[in-house]
Amino acid sequence: MRGGIVRELAVRRYLNQFRRIFQDPVLAIGLILVTLFLVLAVVWPVLAMVGESMSEAGRPLFARYLTEPTYQTIIRNTVVMGLLVAAVGTALGFLFAYVQVKVQAPFKRLMHFVALVPIISPPFAVATATLTLFGRNGLITKGIFGVRYDIYGLQGLTLVLSLSYFTVAYMNLKGMMQALDPALEEAATNLGANKWRIFRTVTVPMLIPGILGSFLLLFVESIADLGNPLVLGGNFEVLATRIYISVIGLYDTTGAAVLSVILLVPSLIIFVIQRYWIGRMSVVSVTGKPSGTPQMITHPWVRWPLFAVTMGVTLLIILIYATLFVGAFVEVPGVNNSFTLSHFDFVINGYGSEAMTDTTLLSAISTPIAGLLGILIAFLVVRKEFPGRAGLDFAGMLGIAVPGTIIGIGYLLVFNNPLDLTLPFGGENPLTITLIPKLTGGRAVLGGALAIVMVFVIRSIPAALRSGVASLSQIDPAIEEASISLGADNARTFRKITLPLIRPAFLSGLIYAFARSMTSLSAIIFLTTPQTKIMTQQILNETENGRYGNAFAYCVILILIVLVAISVLYLTVGSATGAERTLEGGG
Amino acid sequence: MRRRLPLLVIVALLLSVLPAQAQGGDTLTVLCTPQEDWCVAMTQAFQEQTGIATSYVRMSSGESLARLRATADNPEFSVWWGGPADGFIAAAAEGLVEPYESPNAAVIDPHYKDAENFTWTGVYVGALGFCSNREILDELGVEPPTSWQDLLNPALQGNIGVAHPATSGTAFTAFWTNVTLAADSLERAAMEEQGMDADAIAEALAAGEYVGAGYDETGAPNQEAVDMAFEYFAQLHQNILQYTRSGSAPGQMAGTGEIAVAIIFSHDCVKLQQEGFEGILVTTFPEEGTGYEIGGMGIITNGPEPEAARVWYDWALTADAQAIGPTVNSLQLPTNPDAPVSELSVNLADVNLIRYNFQAAGESRTAIVERFDAEIAPQPVD
Repeated sequence: MRGGIVRELAVRRYLNQFRRIFQDPVLAIGLILVTLFLVLAVVWPVLAMVGESMSEAGRPLFARYLTEPTYQTIIRNTVVMGLLVAAVGTALGFLFAYVQVKVQAPFKRLMHFVALVPIISPPFAVATATLTLFGRNGLITKGIFGVRYDIYGLQGLTLVLSLSYFTVAYMNLKGMMQALDPALEEAATNLGANKWRIFRTVTVPMLIPGILGSFLLLFVESIADLGNPLVLGGNFEVLATRIYISVIGLYDTTGAAVLSVILLVPSLIIFVIQRYWIGRMSVVSVTGKPSGTPQMITHPWVRWPLFAVTMGVTLLIILIYATLFVGAFVEVPGVNNSFTLSHFDFVINGYGSEAMTDTTLLSAISTPIAGLLGILIAFLVVRKEFPGRAGLDFAGMLGIAVPGTIIGIGYLLVFNNPLDLTLPFGGENPLTITLIPKLTGGRAVLGGALAIVMVFVIRSIPAALRSGVASLSQIDPAIEEASISLGADNARTFRKITLPLIRPAFLSGLIYAFARSMTSLSAIIFLTTPQTKIMTQQILNETENGRYGNAFAYCVILILIVLVAISVLYLTVGSATGAERTLEGGG
Repeated sequence: MRRRLPLLVIVALLLSVLPAQAQGGDTLTVLCTPQEDWCVAMTQAFQEQTGIATSYVRMSSGESLARLRATADNPEFSVWWGGPADGFIAAAAEGLVEPYESPNAAVIDPHYKDAENFTWTGVYVGALGFCSNREILDELGVEPPTSWQDLLNPALQGNIGVAHPATSGTAFTAFWTNVTLAADSLERAAMEEQGMDADAIAEALAAGEYVGAGYDETGAPNQEAVDMAFEYFAQLHQNILQYTRSGSAPGQMAGTGEIAVAIIFSHDCVKLQQEGFEGILVTTFPEEGTGYEIGGMGIITNGPEPEAARVWYDWALTADAQAIGPTVNSLQLPTNPDAPVSELSVNLADVNLIRYNFQAAGESRTAIVERFDAEIAPQPVD
C-alpha cells in the first residue's frame, strides 16, 4: 500500500512538472522543438545504426569481428592508439596549463595562443605538414639528420593526434588551475611542505577530475578520428578507417554498422563515466574568484626545464603551421620549392571555389542554430524541472560522444529514402504525405545541404550547451525570478535577462560551433553530393593523392575564413573581453 | 523563441539558393574517375562547347561502383566517364549503366567497347607499370623492378604503394593481372606436360587456346588461378606501406620519396614526371606481362539528365575531346584513331601486355574485392 502511495505521489509530481511547463506555451514549444530536433537529427540515426547491426545479417558479424585475430588486432590498435594519445595529450595539456598558471616564464601569451590554434585547424593540416617535415623524405628527418625515419603507424599517429587534440586538456586544466584556491597551497606552505610536496599532495589531487576528464575526452576524440589514420596510418589499421572503407569501397552498411557499434560502445561508456561520475568528483570550488594571488614557481631548476619543454612543443607547433603556410606557396613542398600561386588559384578560382562558398555558407547557417539550441537546452536543463531532463542533456551531448563516421552512417540509413505517410482513406489512390523528404544521397532535397546542416548543428550543440550550463549555473536564479515577479513572461525574461548575462558563453559557443563545422570531416564524408561540396572532403582528396600544395592552400584559406568569422562574431555578438574570459576560463 | 522564426526563414531562403543549378535548364552531372585536372578540363571544354552547365564529382572506380549501387533507386549522376572497363562491366551486370549506341562509337575498335550490348565504350587505353623513385631505390640497394617477383624483395618492406582494390580500378587491374599470369602459368605447366614446345605454348596462350588447366571453358581464369593471385598479394602485403583510396596516389608518394615503388598506370607515372618529378621517377614494366585498362564510359540507368548524358557520350568519343587529355598531362592513349597521340605517351607495342579478359574481370570483381578486403588488407605486417 505504502509503495502505491509513493508511486502515486511521484506520478502526480511528474504531471505537475509537465503542467508547469505547459502553462507557458513558449517554453513548451521550445522544449518540444528541441526534443524533436534532437530525436530526428541524432537519436534516431544512431538507433537506426544500432538496429542495422542487430539485424539478421548483422548479428553473426559480431561474433566474427570479435573472434577473428585480424579484427582483434584492429580493435586492439584502436584502443592502444586511444590510450597513448589520451596520455600524451593530457600530459601536454597539463604541462601547458601548469606553465601558464603556475610558472613564471617568458612568452606565455605566445604559448597560450599556440595551444589554441588546433581548434581552428582543419583535420589534415597537422598530419600533412608533419609528413613534409618528418616523413621518410622529410625536410628535417632526411634533410637535416639524413635519416629515413618511418613515421607511419602508431608513433606518427600518437604525435599528430596529441598535437591536434591536446587543446581540450589544456583549456580544461587551465580553467581548473586558475580556480584552485591559493589559500590551500599557502596553508600547506605554512605547515612546512616544500613546493614538490605541495604539487604532489595538494595541486595534483585537486586536479584529478580534470586530468581524468581530459584523458577520457581525448580517448573518445582520438579513436573517432578518421583523417589522420587515413594519411599516416601505414599498415596500422584502426576501426574508423575500416568503417570508412566498408562504406565507400563496398557499400556494406551492415558490416560498417557492426564495426560502428564496436566503436560506439567504449566511446559511450567512457563518455558517460567522464560526464556523470568524474563530473561529480570535482572538488574545485567554482563559486566566485579565488582569494589571494597564486604563488608562482620561481626556482630555476624547476622553472627553466618546464619552460624549455613547453617552449619546445610550442616551437614544434609553430614549425608545423609555418610549413603549412609556406607549403601553400611552393610547387611541390619538399621536392620543388619554387614559389607559385597556382595552388591558391586552384582553390579560389578553380575547382575549390564551390567547396569554399558551400562550406562557409552551411557553417554560417549552422552556427546560430547550434548556438541558440545549445543555450536553450542549457536553460531548460539548468533552470526548469521536467521529466526527462537528464535525457535531454544527454541527447544534446550525443553529437560529441558519438564518433562522426557513425552519425554519417546513421544518416545514410535513415534519410536515404523519404519517409512517407500513406493516409488510411482515399480508396485506390490513397493520399501520401511526405513527412521527411530524402535528405542524403542522389537527388536529396537541397542537394543534401539540409542533412549537412543538421550534422553541423548536432556536432556543435555540445560546446554551446556546456558553456551555457557552466555560465547559467553561476547566475543566481533570483535575477530571473525578479523579472518574472515584475510581470515579464518567460520568453521576455530569457531574452532580456538571461541571454545578456550569458552572452560571453553564447559567443564562445558560436565560435566553437563555426570552427567545428568548418573543420568537421568524419560525420559529413558520406553525405556530400555533387551539388554540395565540403572543403575538408576536398582537402582529404588532395592529401590522399599527395597534392600537398593544394591541400595546404585549402587549409590556409579555411583557417583564414574561421579567423574572419571569429572577428565578425566578436564584433556582432559580444565584447572581446567577455568572450576572451569564457574562452580562457570555460572548458 | 520568437526571434528564431525570422532566422529559420533566412535559413530556408539561403538553402534554396544552393541547389539552384540542379533544377531545370540544361545541366549535366558527371561521375569522373580519372585524375582531377583532366575532369576539370573535360567538363569545362564540354560546357563551353555545348552550353550545358556541367559539374562533376571525382571518385575512384570501386568507390563509384559502390555509390551507383547505393543510389540505384535515385541516381545523382547521369554519365560515368573514365576508369577501367572492368568496373563498367560489373556495373552493366547489375543494370547500373544502360545501353546507348552512340553514332560516334563506330570508329572505335570493337575490342575497346561493348560491341554487343553497347553498355560501355572505351575512351582511352593505358598499361599498368611500376613507378619508382630512383634515389630511394639506390639507398635501399635495389634495382628498378622488372618483374612481379622483384616486388617481393624483403629490402622493399614498407616501401611499396598500391591502392585498395575495393576503391581503385588501378589496384583491381593489378590484381587481375596476377590472376591472369597465374592462369597462364598453370596452362603453361599443363602444356609442357603434354610435350608442347615453348614457341607453341606462347602461340597458344596468345591466341587464347587453352587446355583448361588455368582457364575454364568460357576463357575465364579458374579458382586455382584466383587463389594463386591471393597468395601473391598476401606475400606482397608484407612490403606495402598502405593501401590508398585512389589508384594514382601511390605515384605521388613515390615522387616525394615516402615509398620506393608505386604500382600504378604507367601514364600516371609519366604525368608525374611532367609535373615536377622529372629525373626522380622512373617507369618500368614487368617482363612476364602487365595488365592494361580500357578507360570506359557509360550512361547511368535512370540518371537525372539522360539527354545531356548522350550529348556528353557522343562528344567524349570525338577526336577533339580525346585531344584534351595531353593538355593536362593525362597521357593515356585515345581510342579514337583520329585523335592525336602525344609523343610522351607509352607505346603499348613496346610493352608485354597480357591477354586481359575484361568480361571475366568485371564479373569476378565484387567477389575478389570482398575477399581482398577481408583476407589481405587488414592483416598485420610481421
